[in-house]
Amino acid sequence: MLTPAELVWLIAAVAKGDEAAFERLYAATRAKLFGVVLRILRRQELAEEVIQETYVKIWNSAGQFNPGLSSPITWMASIARNRAIDVVRKRTEVSIEEEPTALEVAAEGHDPLARREMTEELKRLLECVGRLEPERQKLVLLAYYNGWSREQLAAKFETPVNTVKTWLRRSMMDIRECLGL
Amino acid sequence: MMAYSEDDIARAIEYALGTLDAEERAQVEAKMSVEKDFTAMVRAWEYKLGVLNEMVGPVEPSPELWDRIKSVTGVSQPQEPVLLPELARPAPEIPPEPLAATAAGRDDTTASVIRLSAQVRRWRGVASFTTAMAAALVAMIALGAYQPDLLPSAIRPKPRTQVTEVKPSLAPAQPPAQAPQYVAVLQKDAGSPAFILTVDGATKNFIVRRVAAQPEPGRSYELWIVSDKLQRPRSLGVIGADDFTARPVLAAYAPDIVDQATYAVTIEPEGGSPTGVATGPIVFTGKLVETVPPAASGSSRPR
Repeated sequence: MLTPAELVWLIAAVAKGDEAAFERLYAATRAKLFGVVLRILRRQELAEEVIQETYVKIWNSAGQFNPGLSSPITWMASIARNRAIDVVRKRTEVSIEEEPTALEVAAEGHDPLARREMTEELKRLLECVGRLEPERQKLVLLAYYNGWSREQLAAKFETPVNTVKTWLRRSMMDIRECLGL
Repeated sequence: MMAYSEDDIARAIEYALGTLDAEERAQVEAKMSVEKDFTAMVRAWEYKLGVLNEMVGPVEPSPELWDRIKSVTGVSQPQEPVLLPELARPAPEIPPEPLAATAAGRDDTTASVIRLSAQVRRWRGVASFTTAMAAALVAMIALGAYQPDLLPSAIRPKPRTQVTEVKPSLAPAQPPAQAPQYVAVLQKDAGSPAFILTVDGATKNFIVRRVAAQPEPGRSYELWIVSDKLQRPRSLGVIGADDFTARPVLAAYAPDIVDQATYAVTIEPEGGSPTGVATGPIVFTGKLVETVPPAASGSSRPR
């Protein structure tokens, strides 16, 4: 993976229409974005469609990237993830049985090896997530990493949808307060 | 930033989290299409939560995907393998951690990284800096520097903080009241501000404030303007030796170049690049955003 500063240069070059830079940007970031999207969509071909649309969008709107607001990979992942969530919300609900690795990501968060590479921003966010009750931590992380709807979360936690709705909102407002926003 | 209701805020955060249904997402997107501040709030939360993706492991898509992307975008086979021709040295010479390696310019890099991050933390403590609010905050800082009287006393800059300290002798002549001010945070990545660049829209004078970066002995930070309208990055001179660097050199560039460009800082030999071309790795970058003109009451126009 290239450093954020190098990715900024690549995106700046892509904004000028530099095709070689676009190829390098793709090579440096495709696996990360695909990992993010595949976790939400679960199906290879669907995830690849979303990745294709994502890079088309990056090609067309690289000039809008503002390095003052986010890191390059976060900007790119946001485009990919938004598209994936749109797709998954418009499809008929994916059943929970399709989610064999539902809890893997939440567990990954405690991998000491990965922790070594965390940015300060991530540590701070996880610290705030960690202040929630354990059930709600899981709720928030499953919602983010797996892109689950409130209905899927309700099924998973065997709770009415309205309760999930309330939990989600309270949890996110707690995180907001914890982050000082 | 406009004050939003708890419901609006919750909606924005849940949009970023992804738990809204299709109809609610469409409503949020409709609101975003007409309200810039709301869009900024949603994006800020997307980026705030987006750091969670650091934990997601990479998965390779199939190799044919690139061909499909190429055909949709009309990208042909690249003709030049050179990616960053602006750099005299090829990319492999850029260390994996440019900040670490270059801030020190030698092997024992850990100390300077720690020093830098300590300074960043300190600065954050002073200004409650958060990534998402960078532009707004910096706009406020800039406003405070130029027109401190316009800020409520509670948030008026304290003279002893490094960020907002203004030495009158170094500040350029007061700009006309209506001139827009532009600000860029030059940073390694979101959340690590190193320099704050402010440009006066009328005179094109710029000031660089050092926030956290310290040049090592024998090395200098050099500022570059990078634009698709310029053939290659142009030097704006060595910065960072003092807390403030003020120069008029941007006046030589067209306004649309100045406000659309990317500003980058490289590590160079003491006194700057001998060739006029960047020789060291890029350690900080940023783009300008327009801040509220001091006399105007309208909203800012972030780019």
